[in-house]
Amino acid sequence: MAPSAMDPAPPALQPESIITPAKLYPPRETRFEKYIEPETDAYRSARSRGSGNAAIVIDNGSSFTRAGWSFEDSPRLNLVPIFSKYRDRKIGKTYAFVGQDVYSDTTARGHMRTAFEAGSGIVSNWDVMESILDYVFIKMGIDGQNGGVDMPIVMTETVANLPYSRKSMTEIIFECYNAPSLAYGIDALFSYDYNNGKTGLVVSSSHSSTHVIPVLHSKAILTQATRLNWGGLQSAEYLLKLMKLKYPTFPGKVNSSQMESMVQDHCYLSKEYDQEIAKYLDWTGLEDRDHVIQYPYTEEIIVQKSEEELARIAEKRKEGGRRLQEQAAKMRLQKLVAKEEQLDHYRELQSQLVNQTKKEIKRLLDEEELKDEAALERKIKELDKSVRKARIKDVGGPEEEAEEPDYSLLDTPDDQLDEADLRKKRLQRMAKGNNEARARAKAEKAREQARIDEEKRADEEKREKDLEVWLQERRNARLDLVQKIKERDRLKADLGNRKSLASQIRMKSIANLASDAPTKKRRRGNDDDNFGMNDDDWGVYRQIATADGSDDEEEEDPGVTLKSVEGDLLKYDPDFTEEHTLDAQTDWTKSLVHAFLRGPRPFDPQSQAEAHQIHLNVERIRVPEVIFQPSIAGLDQAGIIEIAADILTTRLNGIGQQNEFLKDIFLTGGATMFQNFDERMRDGLRSHLPADAPLVIRRAKDPILDAWKGAAKWASGNKWKTAAVSREEYLEKGAEYSKEHDLGNAYSA
Amino acid sequence: MRMAPPTPESEAHQALIAQLDIHSIPKPFRSQTWKPNQRRNKNIKTILGDAVRKEASTMATQENSGAATPLPDDSGTSTNGDVTPAVSTASSMLQPNLAQASRNLSKLVLERNMKSNGFSTAPNATYTNIESAPSMAHKRHYCDITGLPAPYTDPKTRLRYHNKEVFGVIRTLGQGVAEQYLEARGAHTILK
Repeated sequence: MAPSAMDPAPPALQPESIITPAKLYPPRETRFEKYIEPETDAYRSARSRGSGNAAIVIDNGSSFTRAGWSFEDSPRLNLVPIFSKYRDRKIGKTYAFVGQDVYSDTTARGHMRTAFEAGSGIVSNWDVMESILDYVFIKMGIDGQNGGVDMPIVMTETVANLPYSRKSMTEIIFECYNAPSLAYGIDALFSYDYNNGKTGLVVSSSHSSTHVIPVLHSKAILTQATRLNWGGLQSAEYLLKLMKLKYPTFPGKVNSSQMESMVQDHCYLSKEYDQEIAKYLDWTGLEDRDHVIQYPYTEEIIVQKSEEELARIAEKRKEGGRRLQEQAAKMRLQKLVAKEEQLDHYRELQSQLVNQTKKEIKRLLDEEELKDEAALERKIKELDKSVRKARIKDVGGPEEEAEEPDYSLLDTPDDQLDEADLRKKRLQRMAKGNNEARARAKAEKAREQARIDEEKRADEEKREKDLEVWLQERRNARLDLVQKIKERDRLKADLGNRKSLASQIRMKSIANLASDAPTKKRRRGNDDDNFGMNDDDWGVYRQIATADGSDDEEEEDPGVTLKSVEGDLLKYDPDFTEEHTLDAQTDWTKSLVHAFLRGPRPFDPQSQAEAHQIHLNVERIRVPEVIFQPSIAGLDQAGIIEIAADILTTRLNGIGQQNEFLKDIFLTGGATMFQNFDERMRDGLRSHLPADAPLVIRRAKDPILDAWKGAAKWASGNKWKTAAVSREEYLEKGAEYSKEHDLGNAYSA
Repeated sequence: MRMAPPTPESEAHQALIAQLDIHSIPKPFRSQTWKPNQRRNKNIKTILGDAVRKEASTMATQENSGAATPLPDDSGTSTNGDVTPAVSTASSMLQPNLAQASRNLSKLVLERNMKSNGFSTAPNATYTNIESAPSMAHKRHYCDITGLPAPYTDPKTRLRYHNKEVFGVIRTLGQGVAEQYLEARGAHTILK
């Protein structure tokens, strides 16, 4: 499949306009619910039934410990096999909690331990196990008046439980709790028995592992049983891993328990995995496939100002500006008046000076601290000019045509001038220089404008002459620009990585610039490195600057240029449409990664709510698929179909009743509850079997509770009595003595 | 230590955890004399290792301990030549009699497993031997980032990817992130 073939066609529907707001699911996790009162009623009735007619049934599973009475329909207790014990030093009290109670206290949560070895059905922490049993017996109202737990115990264990683990459990039951008898059985087989299974293949996918067990005439053929080390727990851990990779900077707290409920609530098995996954992120229908989990968040408080408020603020600002303007105008007016007064005063002085003696003139001028009449003249001129200017400003009249500057003295040689004239000449020269520079700049501008106009004209002429060539030029220019933008982005990204080539080159340049003896550009026989002779040398400073410095502005922004080139193409190239622009192509509606991370809706990085969202899409079928294709999660084991097919077609050959097994493929355990599990089993097995093979797949009535119910049913019957090991037998034959029965493990044939 | 003034909530919480606590609740059903082994908590690896070691040592001391009847065929594994191996295995296939029930369970298990090497018709199911074997089926490739079908592999990071856009993402991954993706697929490098 070439990537181009995978590119989705331009979305037929505009997502923004049609898609409704996403349905948000809250994360769910195991939490403390309420205090469970010990119940003594059933214990009393159990005692009244007499020995052998009642038993405590414990489904000792790794996800839940379920405990109850053999004569009841369902377990009384459902608890997570966890335990927490800590000492509160402040009050000198030790606390111990079991099951969901652990979640009631944060400190307790921190000390949480589980009874089972991670990812297996084997009990490995016996202190925890004992505490769980304590809790079970407390809540079931065992009073210990007869010295211990005076009820037979029926317990489930995993397929091929380790002898050591079984021995330890047996020891605890008999030594610590003084139970009269104990029987073990396999949960999956109890469930099968409860669902009236006689001959068939039991597929049990539970919390920590998946087992496939053939059963012939109600007896398990354990030697052909097979375990796949994948269950609900591994699925949850896998989803957690995927989520951490998908949202590496997720602000919320994500835990395994939440993942477990996400697997239960949102995941399903795809009927046609490869076909469905390939289209999973397509736009059509993505809003249904994409499930959004909204984690709790606190919205950043952005004070939303009302329209009126905004108007009032604007008004206030305007008002302030007006006041300032008024003040400034007032000051200007005052200054103007002062200046006018001054001007009048000087004019009067000037008129007084007429027809006065030189001495008198000198006296009058001295009074005003003026040097001579010329100075007075200058002063008057200056004031007059500024007054006029100020008036124009206030009244807003037309800009006065600049007075033709007077350069009369410039042509006169210096030796013909007196001191005052020399100074005047210097001033004139400066003024002339200024004016000429201004004129040059103006001319430059005009020339530049003319050049641009000319270029434009030439460009247009070219376009009119040969549109195709012109378009090709534009297209090439566009490609160059796109490349440039990409390169810039890549460089930026590379500089973030300290080990990248770009970073290393930068560090090298810095070191080189800082060193006293730069090694770069040294030519033979020339000690001076000539740095700076070439203008390009200075570019090195641009290279080593990482921040968006001000000198970046000098460079033309390729983004802006691209926009204009694309504008031209849009206008004149019939093949170039809006969809071809870079903007449209990098638009989120075209992005597969956006669909993967954020679903079918736009993403607002500012929104706290959206930052706290997890989008489950591909994962919804990717996670449950592992049991069929363990290699997805790196588990080097055969998938469940391969295992079942191998057992059915080759390993059971000796027995010769293959079709009997095919007629009853039985699914039990929490991890088989995925939608389509049965169909996948059917389709998968079909392909391994002859066309006419009878194949019946069925599910347990209650894949979770049937194990306990089956054990309770078994404990109410007669088979149990012969299979249980009594206290006397234990004392005589030791902790490793066990009796084999149809629904249990076999340790010696 | 400074004591925070008790608030109604914290008092209610104290009352709740006092109620939930099972440490101080009397457990009359427990035996007073029960003293579990301090080192009883073992993980699967240790248990399996212990079983093998124990087996090896009991096998070695079997003949002179006198604790149990030595099995002649156990030691006669075809070194002396007067018994053919075929005969010895045939006799070992006999079902263990009831007297052997008092023998060490793990030894029985191991013994049977050893006997089952090739000849026995019904090997016992043990925790290790019921584990599913590696798959013989063709392994499909899926994109490490998106989970979609992956026709390509990036030679640099060894990540599988779906299309060039995902490839762009791979190229911008931070240090070590690619390895984490590989780990989710179990294809990461393990340094020993």
